[in-house]
Amino acid sequence: MAETVEKTEEMGMIDKAKAFVSTIPYNKIGMKDLTDFEKTPRNNLVAVLTLAFVAMFVVGVAIYLMHGHHAYNVTREHPWGLLIAVYIFFVVSSTGLCIVGSLGDVFGFKDYEMISKRAIFGSIVTILAGFAVIAFEIGHPVTMLIYNVISPGLTSAIWWMGTLYGIYLTFMIIEFVFLLKHDMKNARIFGLTGLLVGLAAHSNLGSVFGFLNARPISNGVFYPTYFILTAFITGIFIAYILMGWRYKLDFPTEAKKMLIGLAKIQGLLISILIFFVTWKMLTDIYGGMPNRSEVAIHILGSWTFWAEVILAMLIPLYIILKDMGKSINAMFWASLAGMVGIFFMRYNLVHDTQLKPLQMMKIKEYQLTPEWIHYFPSMTEIMISLGGLGLCVLLYYIGSKLFNLDADEAH
Amino acid sequence: MARYGMALDYKNCINCKACEVACKEENGVLLGADKHRIWVGSNDVKGEWPLLDIASAAFLPSQCQHCDDAPCQEVCPTHATYYDENNVVRVDPDKCILCSYCMNACPYDARYVDDRTMTVDKCNFCAETRIARGETTTACQNTCPTKVRIFGDLDDPNSEISETLRVREHFTLKTHLGTNPKLFYLT
Repeated sequence: MAETVEKTEEMGMIDKAKAFVSTIPYNKIGMKDLTDFEKTPRNNLVAVLTLAFVAMFVVGVAIYLMHGHHAYNVTREHPWGLLIAVYIFFVVSSTGLCIVGSLGDVFGFKDYEMISKRAIFGSIVTILAGFAVIAFEIGHPVTMLIYNVISPGLTSAIWWMGTLYGIYLTFMIIEFVFLLKHDMKNARIFGLTGLLVGLAAHSNLGSVFGFLNARPISNGVFYPTYFILTAFITGIFIAYILMGWRYKLDFPTEAKKMLIGLAKIQGLLISILIFFVTWKMLTDIYGGMPNRSEVAIHILGSWTFWAEVILAMLIPLYIILKDMGKSINAMFWASLAGMVGIFFMRYNLVHDTQLKPLQMMKIKEYQLTPEWIHYFPSMTEIMISLGGLGLCVLLYYIGSKLFNLDADEAH
Repeated sequence: MARYGMALDYKNCINCKACEVACKEENGVLLGADKHRIWVGSNDVKGEWPLLDIASAAFLPSQCQHCDDAPCQEVCPTHATYYDENNVVRVDPDKCILCSYCMNACPYDARYVDDRTMTVDKCNFCAETRIARGETTTACQNTCPTKVRIFGDLDDPNSEISETLRVREHFTLKTHLGTNPKLFYLT
């Protein structure tokens, strides 16, 4: 008897879940709908590039499956390469979009509600792209899924970061579903929880580097806090790109108002970032502390550092300050440049951490030079990285056809 | 139950590299410049002839320091790096996911990737070979012609290593990082 009641209850739960899923609004699409876009040269170029990148992902993964980490240029002295940087790039983008999306639907800033759904969907596709890339960097991803659960290393920042990002993704999906259903109360609850978990995950990612006592250039409180700041900046850059693409740079009044507001916030954030980076560099160099000051001076001499500064900081800040964020079309282009700068920011973070040899007197017999560790990504690493970008754009495009990412009328 | 450590009378080292060969042979470490559990570092002689700084030309044998507070163990997300019953820092290849965080966190550059298992490998004081067979010496110690290495139980006050550390001055590497290494360099 009890078994029958239990079974009926179980059926009830399944039916309820089915009923809930069936009420999620989406458009039925086929291949024809996916190929149905305005055939302008710009759109065609993006379509071809996206498909080419996805093809590169497939080829890169095939090479990796055949040769393992030998397909990458990572070494004993430089075990983290481009794929780690690209993973960070995507998860920073995701956290940033989550922050931007939360402005409207969690914190109730009416001006920013129009981008909430789009930004939250963006945060889901970017983190999925990040997971797709890291799955081929971690040597044993299946082992990871098993032992992360049955043998958790609670003192490991990587464990916390990975676990929290998994929970964060779940909350983002639930929030997105409630946004689609226009259930703002539940969207706010899951949005706020997801945001808090996402921020915790993201600062844990910073602590993966901050906890490295062996690497004085990264060790300390800087990265866990800086990651949150740069995530917000990245989120605003992507918000500009998404809105610019959506409206083909011909923005309605409401979007203009929102983008000008975001540009003003961005101006403040980039100013704080410049302030942060300047003092980080000065404290690194000051006093000539071994293993830190010479690394910082070396970083100042690398072109990738200046690519980061010019593209992600100086150009966007100049465009914002010129007329207090009113040049939103220029900001669209500056945001594209900004994302290239943000990529270099992530690459530099990973590479610079490993620049300095650990000085265990391995000088002549082994390949370790006493100067700097060199690294340049292999073709396979580059293909998988570009593939991550292709996957991200493709998923976003499919999502924009499948769901209504614009704000609802009654919103 | 022991707390194994090693003392290195490094000034006796003649850089013959017999220890490196013995380690590779005993533990089946793959060939290749970056596949090494132990190594002998050397400094270039400083100064110009005839004022050469002979003291600068020391050889410094090294390896995993088997720290009592090992950063590699703390950062491992799956407990693949663990302390065995003899307080030796070891890697369980079944649990290692090759995230390489330990390789970045180790201040002593003591870890590398074993291409056969595609997991991280390092010195384990011959735990799977000689110690498992009931022997009381490591391969590197056993083969050293100038008796640089003293291996033994730090918790046993009567062991040779405990006796040596009581009577000889010694230092550890990167002590300021608080890792509490169990590799001691005798001065």
